[in-house]
Amino acid sequence: MPIAPAEFPPPGDPAADYVTEPTDPEEERIEVGLAIVGGGPAGLACAIKTMQLLKDDPGLAEKLGEVPVAVIEKGKVAGAHLLSGANMRPSAMQELFPDMDPSEWPVYQKVTKDAVYLLTKKAAIPLKPPPPNFRNHGNYVTSIAQLGRFLGERAEGAGAYLLTETAADKLLVEERVVKGVRSGDKGRGRDGEELSNFEPGSDVVAKATVLAEGTQGHLTGAALDFFELQGLQPQRWELGVKEVWEVEKPLDRVIHTMGWPLRKGPKWNEFGGSFIYPMGEDKVCIGFVAGLDYTDATFSVHDTLQLFKTHPFVQKILEGGKRVGWGAKTIPSGGFWALPRTFTVPGMVMCGDGVGMCNVSELKGIHYAMHAGIYAAEAIVDALKHDSVNFDAYNERVRNSAITEDLYKWRNVRQAFSKGFFFGGAVANAALLTRGHLPPGRWHQHLDAEEAMELDGASKHYPKPDNKYTFDKLSSVFASGNATRDDAPNHIKVQRRVPREVAQTWVSMCPAQVYEIPDEQVENGAAEVDLTITPSNCVQCGAITAKGGRLTPPEGGDGPLYQET
Amino acid sequence: MAGGILVYALHDDEGNFNKNSLGAISEAAKLASELGTEASAVVVGDLSDEGAAGLGAYGAKRVFRAKDAPEGLAQPIVDVMAKVISDEGFSYALFGGGLLGFEIGAGLTARLNAGVTMEVTDVKVADGKLVAERPVLQDSAIVDVGYVGEPGIIIGRLNAFDTNEGDGGSAEVVDVDVELSEWSTKARMVTRGEQRGADVNIEDAEILVGGGRGLGEADNFKLAEELADALGGAVAATRAVVDAGWYPYAAQIGQTGKTVAPKLYLAAGISGAIQHKVGMQSSENILAINKDPNAPIFEFSDLGVVGDLHKIVPKLTEAVKAKKGS
Repeated sequence: MPIAPAEFPPPGDPAADYVTEPTDPEEERIEVGLAIVGGGPAGLACAIKTMQLLKDDPGLAEKLGEVPVAVIEKGKVAGAHLLSGANMRPSAMQELFPDMDPSEWPVYQKVTKDAVYLLTKKAAIPLKPPPPNFRNHGNYVTSIAQLGRFLGERAEGAGAYLLTETAADKLLVEERVVKGVRSGDKGRGRDGEELSNFEPGSDVVAKATVLAEGTQGHLTGAALDFFELQGLQPQRWELGVKEVWEVEKPLDRVIHTMGWPLRKGPKWNEFGGSFIYPMGEDKVCIGFVAGLDYTDATFSVHDTLQLFKTHPFVQKILEGGKRVGWGAKTIPSGGFWALPRTFTVPGMVMCGDGVGMCNVSELKGIHYAMHAGIYAAEAIVDALKHDSVNFDAYNERVRNSAITEDLYKWRNVRQAFSKGFFFGGAVANAALLTRGHLPPGRWHQHLDAEEAMELDGASKHYPKPDNKYTFDKLSSVFASGNATRDDAPNHIKVQRRVPREVAQTWVSMCPAQVYEIPDEQVENGAAEVDLTITPSNCVQCGAITAKGGRLTPPEGGDGPLYQET
Repeated sequence: MAGGILVYALHDDEGNFNKNSLGAISEAAKLASELGTEASAVVVGDLSDEGAAGLGAYGAKRVFRAKDAPEGLAQPIVDVMAKVISDEGFSYALFGGGLLGFEIGAGLTARLNAGVTMEVTDVKVADGKLVAERPVLQDSAIVDVGYVGEPGIIIGRLNAFDTNEGDGGSAEVVDVDVELSEWSTKARMVTRGEQRGADVNIEDAEILVGGGRGLGEADNFKLAEELADALGGAVAATRAVVDAGWYPYAAQIGQTGKTVAPKLYLAAGISGAIQHKVGMQSSENILAINKDPNAPIFEFSDLGVVGDLHKIVPKLTEAVKAKKGS
């Protein structure tokens, strides 16, 4: 019988568990000007812009204290947890670094050629001209993991402090004004016990708090609940799995594909596609993205990517090559209707993927995140000049920017693909031709976790790993650079005894082999199973939060160490 | 004539002696007879007369017992041994290996201004003196270390010395009163715990039997232990079984565990995920037993056996024992 994972919600309540008043005695609190959670494009653009503005306003800089800007990043370095396609629109880089030549940007090349293919099992049919949403002419191929490192260095160079290997565990709120964040404990054992290297977290109190956590932001989720900011429609996600390959022949264009190996039948609700981008002369990245509203519990994006690589069209590109990187990340795809009611509350702003500033139809988000970070910096600096914690100017700025305008244009397109590929395609064209006037109204979307799941055989098609072109999940986790200690506490909240359909959904979905059904229960066909969890494998993609569980940040420094994803 | 050899013998709360300590006494007794002197032992804490005297079976002539010094802490034992060595004129102190022995040996060296050799794998007699053999340069060469003065401190590598239970003679027990140094009483023993497998340093073992999920359950690790015993090796484990609580973390091989390079790595029921492979791939010889012919471990094994380890391993243990017995 089909069962939705949402019927087995994770234990705990984010708004109650992760929102608190400051608890450290006042003299022990760490005081900063801006506490920015997340060292990605949004948070680092915000840090850099703030430091640029403070340079022109030494009075305010002094007022913000010894640490005017602190960026709290759970990865080992800025960029360690970042993964994206990525074709970047250059507008935000130009705005943030007006005097910098693009040759100094951390990019591989400017896109000169686009190609889109519809794949069947054996053939690749070019779509000419490529659909407009896939046109990347003038954009730049980058690695967001490298972009994060680049922006991190610039932020530090400008005088911001990067607190890496630090998780932001709780949001500090007093009388409905955000006061900062509390960092996570370090050195706890599997059962939460304090090990010999235990270090408790600290209250980081700030005049302004910026949540720029990226997809499935831990505190962003808690804040949306606590302040009741949810948008008109629930947020939804896609999961992308990506590999970096060294190849023998350079690739001369940016490639997107649709169709195979996803199944067309509407009952499976499989929506997505692939991307293959050149990274200089000797590397390419290749990834597969699929919506998490699919219904087959045995569907796995990681294995779909492996299957995709066996297609002759892809084999020609990878032939003789070697995989050098792997990773996975969710992408918010709820679009316009899922944007929160507001991006600000007193003392805090939110920007980037965490609040859904992503245009999944055009596969763009990095420049939105950076623009949002820049707008946030401007609004916060303006307000702090007048000793105000009202940052609503940021809200207005986002509402009147390309971020909102673009998302509005594509507001009903993703939903249409839930009714099948060709219907979706038709609606996408209508939206484009009418500049977003069609289709009108607000089309319904629901939570990915509310999709009822069935054991329906997608996994039968997945290839057995040959360790040359196709790989299993565990060796992929290794390629992500993840070497998390095994006795860390479990940071993944899920129910452990669940119906087989729900358990299998998580087992198949998770690209990092975190979830397993015990061998004997795999075989005995029991209706309910006891899930085992290996949290140290987790690469923090966030899919579990979309599909009925909850990812929380592990100890700072844990998780992948992405290099060129 | 040289003075005797003094050995520190570690015991647990039940009075059982550590295997490496017994090995050190056996070795000391053998060397002492070549030198024409005697081997004696030091024990501390709560230990019965019979328990102490029982060390005679391994060749200890006298056992010096300091009841007031706590067991398991290095500094008080340094006080005891320094006094016994000075009072009784011992020429050498020998330790069986393990962290406590290293710590006591180092402290004793500093206290007595002695010479010390660590990680000793063998000791021999030359010209009426002891010479310690010690591997260097990542075990690619062995050097002989002699002592120019007295006493000489020799700290063995784990499992360097075999125990040799002799004719059951009983040692003379001598109680000693030692005034502990002021700093020796600053730390106190709260609890002592023993962990299965923890007395074996898998990084040093020449033969390792690695157990994986294919063993089926925690109890089946005894198959691996019996085989390791028969081969004179130690037991290692994969992350999955350590995670499942089947075996202690100290035995974990791989990316988040230890890196080993034994002469023989026998993988029983290990699939060979890359996280495990990086911890043992430089083993000289890799032998894998797995029922799944497609297990990745076979890709980097020198010898692969496809079959049921529950049948193969006990037979292999028997065969090894039979061969060694012959």
